[in-house]
Amino acid sequence: MASRLHLLACAAGLLAFMNAAFAADPIKIGVTIAQSPPGSVSQGTQVKDGVEVAAKIINDGGGVLGRKIELVYEDTQGIPEKARAAVEKLITRDQVVAIVGEHQSSAALAGIEVAHRYKVPYMNTNGWSDAIREKGYAEVFSPANYNSRVAIAVADTMKALGAKNVVAFCENTDYGVGLAKLIGVQMGERGKGISFKYETLDRAAKDYLPAILPLKANPPDVIIEIMLPPGAYILLNQLNEQGVAPTKKTLIYDASGIADYPDFWQNVGDAAKDMLVFGLYHPRMPLPELGKKVADAYVERTKSAPNRLLFQAADSVFLVAEAVKAAQSTKSDAMIKALEDVKWTGTRGQVTFSKEKSGFKHHQWLDIPYVTFQVTEVKQPVDDMKLVQQPDAALDAAQVERPK
Amino acid sequence: MLTLDLLINGLIIGVFYALMAIGLSLIFGILKVVNFAHGEFYMVGAYAYTLSALMLGVSPWLALPLAFVVGLVVGVVVERLLMRPLYSGYTSWGSIRDEYAVIVTFALSIFLINVVDKVVGPFAYRGPPLVDVSRIAIGPILISGHRLIAAVVAIAVIVVVALAIRYSYWGRQIQAVSQNRLGASLAGIDTAKASAIVFALAGGLAAVSGALLANIFNPTPDVGVFPAIKSYVIVVLGGMGSVPGSIVASLVLGVLESFGGVYISYQYRDTFGLLILILFLLFRPQGLFGEKAREV
Repeated sequence: MASRLHLLACAAGLLAFMNAAFAADPIKIGVTIAQSPPGSVSQGTQVKDGVEVAAKIINDGGGVLGRKIELVYEDTQGIPEKARAAVEKLITRDQVVAIVGEHQSSAALAGIEVAHRYKVPYMNTNGWSDAIREKGYAEVFSPANYNSRVAIAVADTMKALGAKNVVAFCENTDYGVGLAKLIGVQMGERGKGISFKYETLDRAAKDYLPAILPLKANPPDVIIEIMLPPGAYILLNQLNEQGVAPTKKTLIYDASGIADYPDFWQNVGDAAKDMLVFGLYHPRMPLPELGKKVADAYVERTKSAPNRLLFQAADSVFLVAEAVKAAQSTKSDAMIKALEDVKWTGTRGQVTFSKEKSGFKHHQWLDIPYVTFQVTEVKQPVDDMKLVQQPDAALDAAQVERPK
Repeated sequence: MLTLDLLINGLIIGVFYALMAIGLSLIFGILKVVNFAHGEFYMVGAYAYTLSALMLGVSPWLALPLAFVVGLVVGVVVERLLMRPLYSGYTSWGSIRDEYAVIVTFALSIFLINVVDKVVGPFAYRGPPLVDVSRIAIGPILISGHRLIAAVVAIAVIVVVALAIRYSYWGRQIQAVSQNRLGASLAGIDTAKASAIVFALAGGLAAVSGALLANIFNPTPDVGVFPAIKSYVIVVLGGMGSVPGSIVASLVLGVLESFGGVYISYQYRDTFGLLILILFLLFRPQGLFGEKAREV
């Protein structure tokens, strides 16, 4: 009887402790995403799902240091000025311990200035522009893909395909122009003999034909698309409409990874058939346990197939939680120190941040896995798209199908 | 061949610009105010066409007049609720009527964008094509089937509207109100009705323009912003209030952007129109077909 009473007392004590813990102030994490145009709302929605899945997993597991994670959202519309104001509001008014979620480079470049001023950790979820890293801010960490990595991948792919003449269409943003320039540099270094040029397109403009029509006389071997929707969709449709690409002569290479967006097929139809895609996620890529858990939770929640931004967003929240856990504190300097030393297996692999203090490697997870896959049918789900390059392997050009 | 390609593309885009700009020009002609929500009439038409076809299964050829009707209704409602105070009984507003028009139409623009963003969603929707022929070859020129048919429809609509304004009973009344509102009123013309007709027509034309381009420009809630800016440039170039001026200026701008985008720089393509606008404002402020003085 005494031992039963003892057990009951212990259980009651445990419950009281847990209640007290969860009654404690939550750990607030600021999330800046585009929830309305002209920003990429497709991306914003995927990031929102990702951070919510991660927060739920953490909270269901007891939270961090006995405190729940609370996400506080701000809509940036993908506009730098709004991103700057959003980060300012999240830090000063909402008292968040870190910022995550940003998925557009121009907005990230604006947001990091504020995070740097207040010395608050900033987890760059999907800003690819190298300029974000090159600032060298101690507060900024990038588990996101980076333009230099894409540029190297593109140059290697063009070489493997035997392309001689390559044209890129990029959007007029830090991300778009930055990546196009880097591809030019990498083509010079790794793709000797390949002629490369790029054309900048206005995201807000809709008629790209004057940029496309000159290609009809001398079509390139590959057209690289470096744009976000809806501009990317319009470009693909207009290339197809003019018979420029995809054709037997000219392949399309999507360097922005748009094939897994929920509105992709409604907007492109047969214009995307035979397109090669730079992919940060494919269902046949091996995933760590946490990745599988996040993927399952996402499928249960949305009834949709997982996508790359889901994992990137989830990792951003998990990393903030890991930093708080390792630092045993929500103080910025302690969290930053913890992140610099982190060695943690996330949803896509083991994450460590480079300790190089300058250039694109600053606080960057360098070994982000990527693949290349090809769209072989109209309205094809990503699961069925053909993998032509496995992670950590070269592109198998023999696997690439040519339009008939 | 590139020259021919560019010329045809420029003319086609110019036709769509014209469809959009005529309504704006008519509104200015009759009310002497700029409608900053004109781009949103275009957006409403694009969505009406796309969603009725995609979600209700309406044939694109029925969705097109449906979009016109939706634009027409929006135009009537806007005129009745927001624009009528400008000319019916609010005489003390005389000194601030321009400010009122700017603020109310600007607010309407933001309101409509946000309503569609929240109700329909922020994702792009591609409208269905009017014909299932993906490309049509005219000699060495390839044009998408939809683009060609849409341009033909746009030309037909422009011709009908131009003839109606010139020869119909209400068209002549609109011309009279446009030339001299007080004089027309003294001659027994119902100026309020003429204004309502113009607003409805402008809404309908912009909506048809949006509907015709829904397959090419994949509508999002802010899709009307860009064509609206072009329309403002065109209306000034053509001569504020002049329908023929708007048509000519639209075609000139379309062709200029097409050629300039290739032979000068694609990146500066949208500045060509603005550059010409500045030159016109400096040396011919009344535009191509505008009048130097309109008030009696």
